[in-house]
Amino acid sequence: MAGLAFIGVGLAIGLAALGSALGQGNASRGAMEGIARQPESSGDIRTTLILALAFMEALTLFSFVIAILLWTKIG
Amino acid sequence: MEKIVHKLAHVMEHIQPYVAYKVGPVEITDTVVTTWIVMIVLFAVIFFFTRGLSEKPTTKRQHIIEMIVGFIVDLIDSILGKQGRKYLPLIGTLFIFILFLNLSWFIPTLKPPTMDLSTTAAFAVTTIIIVQLIGIKKKGIVGYVKHFFEPVPFLFPLNVLEELVKPFSLALRLFGNMFGEEMVVTILFIILPLFLPVPIQVLGVLMGTIQAMVFTMLPVIYIASFIHGH
Repeated sequence: MAGLAFIGVGLAIGLAALGSALGQGNASRGAMEGIARQPESSGDIRTTLILALAFMEALTLFSFVIAILLWTKIG
Repeated sequence: MEKIVHKLAHVMEHIQPYVAYKVGPVEITDTVVTTWIVMIVLFAVIFFFTRGLSEKPTTKRQHIIEMIVGFIVDLIDSILGKQGRKYLPLIGTLFIFILFLNLSWFIPTLKPPTMDLSTTAAFAVTTIIIVQLIGIKKKGIVGYVKHFFEPVPFLFPLNVLEELVKPFSLALRLFGNMFGEEMVVTILFIILPLFLPVPIQVLGVLMGTIQAMVFTMLPVIYIASFIHGH
């Protein structure tokens, strides 16, 4: 049974990373297209992009914390 | 292989904060010790950089310090506009302090205090309390209470939840980033101590800076949402 628990921990962090990777990729693509079209607005876009990425990153980190909590429970 | 698994099992215990000293019933963890060391270093650095300031920058020191202050001022100006200048002491302190805490692993044997959830939680809770107080001051008590019932009174629970979640997300974001990065470095160090952890550590410098920036930007945005409305 302990093996299944480890699979659960791996899935928790893996699926969350998959989701936020897709989101971050989309956001970065949009920002790059925006900069390519209007290079003069790159400063604003960069600031907004970093913030947006941080918000998406947070979702993975929540699941990372949950995965660690689960992992220490298995022990 | 058996050895690696055995070592991995003990990674958690190495990374978690441990009690360094005991003063009576009060336990002083290594997080507190590191924070004090960073505070002393920070004080020395700032003391060195702010000696002999003049109206027009003549020394190299003043150019460096003006670059940093200018960066933070630009950050605030781009979101809050000119009226945000009065929050510069709060925002600037947050940025510089968290940056130094994140990069404190430059000093050997120290690990970043932001890897401890207690540190980030303290930062997040105090920041959010100050943001709420600024909101009350800007809108007045009535306006502050009223903004929970906007746009429709039906959304009151969601608005309260939104305010309550802010400190959690702030604290967990900083903690998760620093902790995760350090954990990856430690595990790579166990697998192959030579060269392998270096690229991740370079990434760690970048991550520490970006996280310090994000942690200072979010309170600015929260303040902006009080000043300009949603």
